[in-house]
Amino acid sequence: MSFDKRISRRNFLVGSAVLAGTAPLLSACGGRSSAVAAPTGAPRRGGTLRVGITGGGASDTLDPHIPATSPDIARVRNLYEPLLYRDHDYRLEMLVAESLTPSPDARTWTATLREGVRFHDGRPVTPADVIATFRRIMDPDDPKSGAASLTMLGEVVASGDRRVEFRLTEPSTVFDDYLAQYSLGIVPADFSVDRPIGTGPFRTQDFTPGLQSTFVRNEHYWRPGQPYLDELVLINFAEDDARINALLSSQVDAIDQVPVALVEVLRSDERLRVLSAQTGTWLPFTMRVDRPPFDDVRVRQALRLVVDREQMINQVLSGQGRIGNDLYGPFDPAYASELPQRRQDIAEARRLLTEAGHPNLDVELVTAPIQAGAVEAAQVFQQQAKAAGVNVRLRRLDTTAFWENYLSWDFAQSFWYTRNYLPQVASGSLPQSPYNETHWSDPEFLGLVRRADRTVDRAEREDLLKRAQRIEYERGGNIIWGFMNQVDAHQVYVAGLLPDRTGLPLSGYSFREAWLG
Amino acid sequence: MSTRSTVFRRALSLPQAKIGLTLTAVVVLLAVLGPWLGPWLTGHDTTGFAGKPFQSDGVAGTDGLGRDVFTRFLAGGATLLLYAVLATAIGVVLGTALGMLAGYTGGRLDSVIMRGNDVLLSFPQLVFALLAIAMLGPQGWLLVLVIGITHAPRVARVARQATVAVKDSDYIRAAQLYAMPRRRILLREVLPNITGPLMVELGLRLTYSIGYVASLSFLGLGIQPPSADWGLMINENRIALVVEPWGVLLPVLAIAVLTVGTNLVTDSLASAAAGREKEVTA
Repeated sequence: MSFDKRISRRNFLVGSAVLAGTAPLLSACGGRSSAVAAPTGAPRRGGTLRVGITGGGASDTLDPHIPATSPDIARVRNLYEPLLYRDHDYRLEMLVAESLTPSPDARTWTATLREGVRFHDGRPVTPADVIATFRRIMDPDDPKSGAASLTMLGEVVASGDRRVEFRLTEPSTVFDDYLAQYSLGIVPADFSVDRPIGTGPFRTQDFTPGLQSTFVRNEHYWRPGQPYLDELVLINFAEDDARINALLSSQVDAIDQVPVALVEVLRSDERLRVLSAQTGTWLPFTMRVDRPPFDDVRVRQALRLVVDREQMINQVLSGQGRIGNDLYGPFDPAYASELPQRRQDIAEARRLLTEAGHPNLDVELVTAPIQAGAVEAAQVFQQQAKAAGVNVRLRRLDTTAFWENYLSWDFAQSFWYTRNYLPQVASGSLPQSPYNETHWSDPEFLGLVRRADRTVDRAEREDLLKRAQRIEYERGGNIIWGFMNQVDAHQVYVAGLLPDRTGLPLSGYSFREAWLG
Repeated sequence: MSTRSTVFRRALSLPQAKIGLTLTAVVVLLAVLGPWLGPWLTGHDTTGFAGKPFQSDGVAGTDGLGRDVFTRFLAGGATLLLYAVLATAIGVVLGTALGMLAGYTGGRLDSVIMRGNDVLLSFPQLVFALLAIAMLGPQGWLLVLVIGITHAPRVARVARQATVAVKDSDYIRAAQLYAMPRRRILLREVLPNITGPLMVELGLRLTYSIGYVASLSFLGLGIQPPSADWGLMINENRIALVVEPWGVLLPVLAIAVLTVGTNLVTDSLASAAAGREKEVTA
């Protein structure tokens, strides 16, 4: 009972301090029973949702096109909307556009704008706004984050009242996938960051970089009834402990990124709900295929065979994940699920290493806390490699030092969100990719991918992609031991947050569907 | 020689010294024997996996990677203790040498040494260590060296003061009359007569060294994973303090008991040395 009292007193203090805590205050005073029941029935309008988000800092921005940190992404997801994006199941979902269709040669894609989509100030979205948006993103003097994957985009032209044509310099059959990014939000032609206007479910009321932002309901939002909340407060948290304590003491209603080791604890607290989502997020070990000893395919395959994938999932992720098969893009329709699951095989690994002339391989693995679980995974790998006589020396760096020489480490780690196969290849597996960590440039692979990019026929394309995946499976430079679940937590009275496959936390930071019971 | 033994004997007669010695001995024994005892007692080695992370398996549960906390706790003191003792030794030897030289010689050398000291003293110890480690990387020898070097000026001040107090004594004058070389005077005549304050310094620096090595490891700049180490363990397991507190509590307790123990011994040495001085002046 004393515990109850403490919580409600703290609630009271916090509630009066931020003058925003009416809902948690009431629910805590109302006693256990009402606090524990999860809200049911039709979504209810109103209220303020306070969300604790990992990271952020003085460089926080409201710019729709250069979100860098989690708080940036959360803001962008709620203020702006791209033409299309991914739904919770990682299927394409039309937003500002109601349709996007390719020409038969996949060189021209035509978007039709949805009727009734308005900016925060009530103006309707016009083709001119879309053109201006992409001009801003592709600005050669200051390209935004989305520009890197839109290299094939030639020009954007209006072709009617509600129609925009994307003319490509080379055919791309998955251009819709490239356009479905949160960093491609549509903004008015006269956009400036000082007046952050978009078509998202919320609009800015208050923003303090490094601390928090307060958004209010966009009454012009095109989805009927949504958003349900009156106000959305996003609060930066640098430390895991602080974020979790804020949730436990009801200073916030939801937090992203619960350390997996604490999932069971939060689950046992009846005031809280844990939101665990299967994603395509992966945390690979990256071997540079152009540097010894990893230029020998036998060494790469041996190190892949050294990994006990189940143990990785258990020790690093506390079981919150699925094992991987050294392939990415698990939600892609063309995912090569027919390839046999690779498992730990120490004898075979030893044989390959001896054959390659490295019976007592000694390698340095560069690791850094680039993502929860990264350093832990390196340590578990080090331990597993011992069994095959491989000595892994860990070089632990801080995150800044790690990114400084990123792409030049022989053997390191990386972190990728969910992507489909071809967009992932474009980002990290082509010689011209911005993040080709393994320096992968296999001629046969490149040929297959290039052909797939131009093949409009779906079955034929999938066949090409499966062949490309087999090459990566047989000689690629990534050790992909698993896909992590995204684990977040919220108070029991928060409803409408769903497991999201994109890898973005808390329902993909989509708070338009959230409501308070 | 007799002065040192009286200081020790007098210190040991104090009850707090006995408590301090016992506490220190317990932790030292644990740290020295732990690495062998651990696998034998628990059946796990320090880097093997005993279960899922932060579960209550075994005596003290598992850590953030599912390794046995008790095994790692037992193995985690040896390096810490070794580094702390080595750093203290470097600091006290270096500091004493500089301090005695400055105090005994006086004049320009005194000024040069002591002003140099002041420069070093103006850096907070931990900040200086952080700087060196950030530049050269977290290596064991560097850790020992940096902590030792930052101890030296503090020891030197005490050693100089003590040397100045005895350098005009008759027995030193006599030695000078016999044209005894300076090195011998310092080692044979001065050093034995300033052991009291130096012992206090030794204890104090040891306590600090333990704290610094543990803090640096906690910050990820000292002893590196996957080694088991108390400071590192606190950092690795602090996230689960509410769930599996032993991973944090055991190392915290050990470090606390060790520092309290060495401090008690130091305190009694200090009061014994002070008592002797009182006797001499009386």
